[in-house]
Amino acid sequence: MKALSLPSAPASRHATLDRLWAIAGAVSVRTKILGIVLALTTLLGLGVTWQVRTVMQQVFIGELENRGHSVLSDLAGRSVDPILLNDTFAVYELLNDTVANHPDAVYAFVLDPAGQVLAHTFGEEGFPTALLTLNPPPAEGAGHLRYVSELGRLHDFSARILDGRAGSVHLGLSERRLQGVVDAVTGQMLLTTALVAMVGIAAATLLTNLLTRPIRDLVQVTTEVGRGNLAVRAPHWADDEIGALADAFNQMVADLDASRQALAEKDAARTRLLEQLINAQEEERKRIARELHDSVGQALSSLMLGLKMLAQTDSLDAARQQAEALRRQAVETLEQVRVLSRQLRPSVLDDLGLAAALERYVDEFARLYPHIAVDLHCNLAERLPPPVETTLYRIVQEAMTNAARHGQPTLISVLLTRRDGHVQAIVEDDGCGFDVEAARRSGRSVGLHGMAERAELLGGRLDIESSQDGTAVYVEVPM
Amino acid sequence: MLARYLPFPGSPRSPSPARRSCRSLLGLVLLAVSSILAACGPARAQPLPVVDLSARTPLPAAAEAQITPLRLGVAAIISPAGTAESYDALARYLGERLGRPVELVQRRTYIEMNDLIQAQAVDLAFVCTSAYIEGHDRFGMELLVAPQVNGETVYHSDLIVPAASDAQSMADLRGRVFAFTDPISFSGRVYPTYLVQTLGETPERFFSRTFFTYSHERAIQAVAAGVADGAAVDSLVLEYALRREPGLAQKLRVIHRSPPFGIPPVVVPPDLPTHQKALLLDLLLTMHDDPVGRGVLDQLGIERFVPIQDSAYAGVRELTARVGRLP
Repeated sequence: MKALSLPSAPASRHATLDRLWAIAGAVSVRTKILGIVLALTTLLGLGVTWQVRTVMQQVFIGELENRGHSVLSDLAGRSVDPILLNDTFAVYELLNDTVANHPDAVYAFVLDPAGQVLAHTFGEEGFPTALLTLNPPPAEGAGHLRYVSELGRLHDFSARILDGRAGSVHLGLSERRLQGVVDAVTGQMLLTTALVAMVGIAAATLLTNLLTRPIRDLVQVTTEVGRGNLAVRAPHWADDEIGALADAFNQMVADLDASRQALAEKDAARTRLLEQLINAQEEERKRIARELHDSVGQALSSLMLGLKMLAQTDSLDAARQQAEALRRQAVETLEQVRVLSRQLRPSVLDDLGLAAALERYVDEFARLYPHIAVDLHCNLAERLPPPVETTLYRIVQEAMTNAARHGQPTLISVLLTRRDGHVQAIVEDDGCGFDVEAARRSGRSVGLHGMAERAELLGGRLDIESSQDGTAVYVEVPM
Repeated sequence: MLARYLPFPGSPRSPSPARRSCRSLLGLVLLAVSSILAACGPARAQPLPVVDLSARTPLPAAAEAQITPLRLGVAAIISPAGTAESYDALARYLGERLGRPVELVQRRTYIEMNDLIQAQAVDLAFVCTSAYIEGHDRFGMELLVAPQVNGETVYHSDLIVPAASDAQSMADLRGRVFAFTDPISFSGRVYPTYLVQTLGETPERFFSRTFFTYSHERAIQAVAAGVADGAAVDSLVLEYALRREPGLAQKLRVIHRSPPFGIPPVVVPPDLPTHQKALLLDLLLTMHDDPVGRGVLDQLGIERFVPIQDSAYAGVRELTARVGRLP
């Protein structure tokens, strides 16, 4: 319960990271790269500057301490004689020369064994008595104390002269000059960091442009494609991942374009087919009406006239002859009606199957086109499903009609076989052939589209190969 | 749609592994930066003491001493530091015995010390032989005692050259650099001048260059270092220096030793109160009977102090007169 009521540290950290990521993720790639470059450059520059500054300060202070000890020991040695010989001015000169000749020296003073100031470099205004007790010299070696004054950080070095028999000497060194050097170097390094950061920004801008320009182009092209312009292509900038993306995108758009074009072609063909179907239907109706009017109507009119005349006939023989003539006329009329009916729908297809229907059609075709030899091989052992039989019958019919009308063939061979769950029909002729693609593109060839449509409706396919030596139509329909 | 062509990561609603790793990287960077920043500002161990150097006060005048110290003058026979070291024990011994502090007084030259004695700025002084002659003749400087070394109260002037030198006598030092100790030192200047004069020359012509070291010890160092080609020094100082620094023996050679002369004495100003003079005389003459005083004397290389008369310096006086006034 406790764990639920109190937000645990990892969870709140997680939330903070989420918020940071939300901010960092929302900015553009350009800003991200610039931010990374700027952050890294600044971090590196500041880190190196800080480290160099720290190391320099340590080294310089160590150096200052070494120098302080050596100058102090020199002072202690050289002041022995003048102190013992009571040559206070020589001590004063020694101290002043030392301070004048060492750039970091601020002051020096000598105390006598009783602790009274013997000589110092503070001039005539007096002596800062706080120094007297600040850093008493140790019995052995030199004392060192770092302290702060209005002159900055100072180091006081102290040592006894001749084991204290001649008193003690103090030397004050300032860190100011060395601190100035450290500050100057720090300033230079910060300036360098700033310059490098600026160069980094310029380089990052260039880099970002190189990186994001293809992406922006891609976005623009995508928008264009979204508006429906499939002609645009994304430029291929380089052989990298973005180049691969552009290629893949272009391939996708090209595929989309091709498929849309195919769809449009098919749509147009279907529209044309529909129109021609309606036309054909109207033509067929006209023909049937004409046939009915011309042949059956006339025959029935003449039959009616004959019957009227028969009714007016007195002689039985004449009546019999007329009745016989009327019966023959009725038989002819009936034959005409049958032909008409068969033309509309070959009942033999329903009654006897595809093979028989084709044989009958070939006979009629031979009567219609006596100069074309037809070779029909129908290797079908049993009846096929009615839709398949109708489809194949119409396709073969269309193919043969097309060949006869456009190819001037001398021979048409038709082969139907059944294998591996498919029925295959091949219609070959030795005609002059035609340009299949052109015919298909032209859109005038309703027949070709009709054949393909019929095959595709049953999940089959239709291929046409044509050359100067003839044309072959292959149809394959699954069972 | 592009998914068919490129394997893009899943829906943006559920964080993908790549995004998760990005986020953990971000967290890592933040952690590193914060730890660096934390390491940047370590607390200083201790605040430095603050001193205002502009707060100056005039130095107080040295307070008048409650008890007048006995001022012990020591002429610059050896270096000031050496003197301070050697005579410190004596000063302390005298201080304890007299019940008053003893202040050691040194000066660069013998004349300066003689001036102090004349002005009674010192109460007791160890001076050079020729300084005694000068002080006695000029203002009546009084002999108190003389140190006895090797059973005698004499010393010599030793002519020394660097160990590598081919000189066998003063004659071989012609045209060389010679170091004098003090302008009025007997062993360091008067005697070597005498030697040059016996060769029918003056030091100015005989030597290519001369200079003063203002102490015997420094003259020994100058020869040992090859700065001078020769010097004449107090034999007692030389023995003392060789004892203290045996390595010197390899650097020096004594090519001539003078006949014995009266040892540098212990003197008092002419007007020193009689009781004080008697007190000092008694103290010094009995010093060797006291174990502590014995130790102090050993440290100075002195067996004991003995009374001495002005006649002991007759030879010095004669030779000094023969050499004549020195510039």
